[in-house]
Amino acid sequence: MAGARSASSTSYPMKRLFHTILATAALGLAACNDNGSGGAGSAGEDAAGTGAAEPKGVIGFSALTLTNPFFKVIADSMEAEAARHGYGLILVSGERDVKRQADQVDDFIVKGVAAIVLNPCDSKSIGPAIKKANKAGIPVFTNDLAYDGGDAEVVCHVATDNLQGGRLAGDAMIKLLGGTGGKVAILHFPQAESCQLRVKGFTEQVESFSRAGIGGRIDIVAILDGGGVRDEGYKAAKDIIEAHPDLAAIFAINDPSALGAHAALEAAGKADQVRIIAFDGQKIGKEAILEGKIVCDPVQFPDRIGKTTIEMILKHFNGEEVPAEVLIPSKLYYREDALQDPELKEAP
Amino acid sequence: MPKPSAHSAAGQFIRDYGMIFVLLLLVALFSVLTLAEQHPTGAEAGRQVADRIVDAAGKSAGVIIVTRDTAEDRAFSAAIAARLADLGPTVHATVNGSPADARRAIVAVLARGESIDAIAANDATSRWTVYGQFDGLSDALVVPRSHTWPNFLKMSNVLGVANQTAIYAIIAIGMTMVIITAGIDLSVGSLVALSSVAGALVIRDLGGGTEAGAGMMLAGLFGGIALCALAGAFSGAMVTAFRIPAFIVTLAMMLMASGLAFRLSKGASIPQLPESFFWIGGGVTLGLPNPVWLMIVLYVLAHLLMTRMTFGRYVYAIGGNAEAARLSGVPVKRVLLAVYTISGALAGLGGIVLASQLQAGDPKFGLMYELEVIAAVVVGGTSLLGGSGKILGTLIGAFIIAVIKNGMNLTNVDPFNQKIVLGAVLLGAVLIDTLKRRRA
Repeated sequence: MAGARSASSTSYPMKRLFHTILATAALGLAACNDNGSGGAGSAGEDAAGTGAAEPKGVIGFSALTLTNPFFKVIADSMEAEAARHGYGLILVSGERDVKRQADQVDDFIVKGVAAIVLNPCDSKSIGPAIKKANKAGIPVFTNDLAYDGGDAEVVCHVATDNLQGGRLAGDAMIKLLGGTGGKVAILHFPQAESCQLRVKGFTEQVESFSRAGIGGRIDIVAILDGGGVRDEGYKAAKDIIEAHPDLAAIFAINDPSALGAHAALEAAGKADQVRIIAFDGQKIGKEAILEGKIVCDPVQFPDRIGKTTIEMILKHFNGEEVPAEVLIPSKLYYREDALQDPELKEAP
Repeated sequence: MPKPSAHSAAGQFIRDYGMIFVLLLLVALFSVLTLAEQHPTGAEAGRQVADRIVDAAGKSAGVIIVTRDTAEDRAFSAAIAARLADLGPTVHATVNGSPADARRAIVAVLARGESIDAIAANDATSRWTVYGQFDGLSDALVVPRSHTWPNFLKMSNVLGVANQTAIYAIIAIGMTMVIITAGIDLSVGSLVALSSVAGALVIRDLGGGTEAGAGMMLAGLFGGIALCALAGAFSGAMVTAFRIPAFIVTLAMMLMASGLAFRLSKGASIPQLPESFFWIGGGVTLGLPNPVWLMIVLYVLAHLLMTRMTFGRYVYAIGGNAEAARLSGVPVKRVLLAVYTISGALAGLGGIVLASQLQAGDPKFGLMYELEVIAAVVVGGTSLLGGSGKILGTLIGAFIIAVIKNGMNLTNVDPFNQKIVLGAVLLGAVLIDTLKRRRA
């Protein structure tokens, strides 16, 4: 093997070098082109998001992940709103890797962005990166997911009011079962603080109704971890109906776990008996509401989360007082809303 | 081996380290692409602004100074204040803070009936929109002159890239050795997580968390590294004693180490670490970040080990032809065991440095690091078929990937396209390796 290596002619390395240089140059060019066309394409119309030429400055946004459409909507609405006010937006994604996100914050600081927006990939470990931005004098904002550490400074956090959303789900459940009462199960995802708030709001509302005794009793008979995903929601729901064959309804903390539960109910022939209330208002959820698989969702407004974040940044630069937290209320979405929803119109 | 002539020595250098020219080319490319206006702040810029204020508004001007609350900005505003005191203008207010602070200061100055003829600001504070709320104040802004320089070549960025790469590069040393023996180690990413968790747990539960002394910190550090070295040795033993393919053994280790990290930490991050622990990953010595020093030292050692010592020759010999190596007296099993142990230990060290940098141990650390590291090794010219490759080539490979990533971030390349480019780079590197073999 070693002999073979030294036998290669000296002209070869030069050729290899030439090839690599060519390849790299091509890649570099490809990268530049991507920048021009890709940026404008994803932004829609007017945001030509290239850094230095922006008159008022550039905002750097590191999203949790862009594989979930929820965050893409936040990013798109931020980009549109920033462009309306003469700011550019640089979009990157931590893809749930906090080191990568910290490196992206470093890059933002080098680029001298006016402000940084984060969906922290880890609510605590992102602290040193935020502190670095603080030290560089760049204001940091968060949305959807909050920073939950000690001493780093976040100007403002924008998110859905999950407690209020949970109460709305509770109200919807009371409307659904209030006359007769019945047994209810919750598909939880306890790791996420947002889901804890949803379940808290829901439970409070339902329990106070049952205590008041103005209608039938609604009993929460089971709280299981549905993982926030389809397959775990399926398994959890299957176990619940084994244990409680007379179950009347399920509250699921998001759309995917609700759809998993619905599949389990269908398999058990109980889809008509057990009704589902979910949360989120993702497109799959809205479609399920239209088809009657889910009764209703308190919907989140990722576009408003993005827009409000930019508004808070503008306020900050305007020298106005910015609240430490802005909560966007959610709204109940029923089949009647789905029938009029332009988002679902194209569906055959 | 015959003494090489000057000509073939140059050829040999290009053959071994030709990728360095690719790196230089990338540096040049991104330097051009990231040319941008730079806006100085600090004392020198402050004196310049003070002079320009006197030129524009005269010696009796009323001035307010607006900067942010950073060390550089404070030096900037102090220099302005000192210079203006010499030249004549009166400073009505100095703001070191937020736009809201600036608004309050302006309101207060105007309420006192004082005039604001000039606002001394730097680029960042001049872009605040707060001045537009007051009549004519936007025109009173005076900022330092800007100059053009690539963002990529700013000292803070160059050091940042080196610092971001250090952990991958350190782990890649062990990976290079493993790959030269024609093996692979997929477990390094999980070992990073395991080591960060184990180290943090030792410090939290045995050393008293944030109050832990230097002794316990060292215990945590070496505990994490030793655990991962043990895991590496276990993989090595499986590969040598039972001849299970390294791919499978280390895939299993990847799952087990990750599971163990989650179990030990109960799935949560462990931030109860003493302030002094952060020095390893976050400190700066003689102008260079500590992880960069660590990387340099380890690369020098590994280079000497692989080029000047018997152990290194054994590693190459095993990768070239394990059977031939065994017949010519190379202790194949012992060398392989050592190589996997080194790989595990270096992954453990990477985990400790990462925990120190991010100020927590976390089972979610190290995600996909094995692929980052393997990519650095392959781009650096080491063949996945074993037998050939250079430690310093890996360092170059790690930097090529880091520079491409950093450069793409600085030129705002869409994150989806970044993945495509990185994939193409990796494929290109392997293609080169394949062509090289076919020709040889």
